[in-house]
Amino acid sequence: MNAQPQLPPAVENYLRTFFLERTQPLLLSFDPHWNLRDVQGDAALFGIDAEAADGGVRELQDLFIGLSLDNDQDLPFVELSSGRSAHVHLIADTDGFHLLLLDAEDSRSRLRAQQQLGNEAVLAGQAKSKAISRLREIRSELERQRATLEEANALKNALIATLSHEFRTPLTSIFGYLHLLDRRGSDGAHAVQALSAIRRNATYLFTLAENLLEYGRGESGALLCGAAVDLRALARDIDEMIRPLAEDKGLHFSVQVAVDDPAPALFDEVRLRQIVINLLSNAVRYTAKGGIGATLAWRDGHLHVEVRDTGIGISPEFQASVFKPFNRGGQSGSKGAGLGLSIVRRLVEQMHGTMTLESQPACGTRFLIDLPPLERIAVIAEGRGHSALWVKDRYVLVVDDDPDIAHLLEALLLDLGFRVLIATDAAGALAEPRRQAPDVLLIDVEMPGLSGNAAVYQLRSHGYRGRIVTLSATSTVEARDASLRAGADHYLTKPLNVEQFVSVMQRVTQSD
Amino acid sequence: MSAPAFKVCMLGDFGVGKTSLVARFVRSTFAPKYLTTVGVKVDSKEVLSAQGTPIKFVLWDIAGRSTLDALGANYLRGASALLLVADGTREQSLSVALNLLMQSRAVLPDAVIALAVNKLDLVERWEVAPTTLAELRRSLPVFETSALSGDGVEGAFAAIAAGLSP
Repeated sequence: MNAQPQLPPAVENYLRTFFLERTQPLLLSFDPHWNLRDVQGDAALFGIDAEAADGGVRELQDLFIGLSLDNDQDLPFVELSSGRSAHVHLIADTDGFHLLLLDAEDSRSRLRAQQQLGNEAVLAGQAKSKAISRLREIRSELERQRATLEEANALKNALIATLSHEFRTPLTSIFGYLHLLDRRGSDGAHAVQALSAIRRNATYLFTLAENLLEYGRGESGALLCGAAVDLRALARDIDEMIRPLAEDKGLHFSVQVAVDDPAPALFDEVRLRQIVINLLSNAVRYTAKGGIGATLAWRDGHLHVEVRDTGIGISPEFQASVFKPFNRGGQSGSKGAGLGLSIVRRLVEQMHGTMTLESQPACGTRFLIDLPPLERIAVIAEGRGHSALWVKDRYVLVVDDDPDIAHLLEALLLDLGFRVLIATDAAGALAEPRRQAPDVLLIDVEMPGLSGNAAVYQLRSHGYRGRIVTLSATSTVEARDASLRAGADHYLTKPLNVEQFVSVMQRVTQSD
Repeated sequence: MSAPAFKVCMLGDFGVGKTSLVARFVRSTFAPKYLTTVGVKVDSKEVLSAQGTPIKFVLWDIAGRSTLDALGANYLRGASALLLVADGTREQSLSVALNLLMQSRAVLPDAVIALAVNKLDLVERWEVAPTTLAELRRSLPVFETSALSGDGVEGAFAAIAAGLSP
């Protein structure tokens, strides 16, 4: 069979007409220097002005930049400046070359419609996959939150049930003994016993109330407030509070203090007192005979706290669980809300200390706590603008288009002892780190033009390794996640919670 | 005397914003509706070279593709520079751009190369991590761009101009 069919003249003529009508060929003949020598066809159809000085072929000339004019070339589907699509062929000749333009507008339109559908289907498929993946994440997050809420609800119910009992018991005792004092008067042995019982129960209520407040602060706790602690005075206070409770039960009691380090002991006294009182209250509660004691030793820049008793002890299998809230470690005859040890552990962790527990059932328990001193920190929320050691020589770049917010942030940061520079747009955020990289970048997310997140992304992709805190008026999880994904270390929402702000600035500067 | 002309090809997966980047750069316009490119569209713009002399960019906006077939390679011939384009919201498009870069090296071993990661205005939805771009910057110039806002667009083309010698 012949590859080139011998067609009847009538068919050949038909095909020629058909092809010419379909493609509207335009033939432009040039010498080797792009001088137009001849035009065959409708140049205007392709938007080419053959009467122009350069023959209107500059655009076509651009198509062959870097290519040899001595070889045939074929460029399908070229969109010309007129918007029309053409197949452009360069045909080399002995004394120049020809450009043959074949109209491709119809076939381009058909192809485009097909490709558009195909591409949009692929893009929609990708978007759908992402959406499904996101929905799965949301579902998983909702299930996690539901589990957390159920756990929180169970804890709340346990707390209410426990508190109901824990408050009523000492209050019943206090009211009962007050009634007796009313009836029998305040003299005599019965009055001493009544006052002792009232003191014991009031002390218990005090500890319970303190623990509840601490528990309510959550895992993050409040800011620690460092100051020089007079350990001897603290020991006297604790002795006055605990000794009557211990002696009521016939227990020996002692508090010892050793100050071997001349440097001031910088601690959060309220939290420190809470730790020791909780441990001693527990010791009194679970000790029936023998004694209890505490030692506070300020030595080698660390505070060593020891609280010991000869009580019922804690079985090894319960020693881990006693630090969980509402858990009394399986101690027989246990009393109390089960909050004390969980709060002690939380406070010790907040103070970057360590705690060990040694205990043997029926022999007693010993808690050993080691606390490093706190540095003085500024608590600007309370209006005290002390310079803090953790901000020494730290430089913060604040980027916010709202000058009021920018200057508020500047004032807060200056109070904390930072050096501060302000930029009013994202361009400033991108330019300044290249001049002098800030230790911390504090940047608003919603800014006109380039967003804060985009600036953060670009800084990270250029290798900026400093800390970044973003500020936003949007408090959704999605907005927070997007900002963190862009490269921020922390995400704060407006209106600004000053204590949280200080805490975050402390964390970002201490984590370097 | 007319400015020396350089063929610059836009190369990347479909839907990454090649046509939009050219429209932003050449005409300062942006069309929000996606319209697929068939074949190639050629535009031109005069810019300044690193030496401060005018040069002409002849921009070849080539239809999006994930691999370089014979037709795509044909469009690339004679190009002095490639602007690879990826979509930050589609991580896969970055792999495509890098794959196209490797394939195009066979046709254009000495072309000036830059990478534009487009759709910076949608940075909240980006799948490409900043550390990935930080790593890529060690081997080629990378620009985060937004054809919608214009951010980074001039910078990407300026980097190409800086690499071309009149």
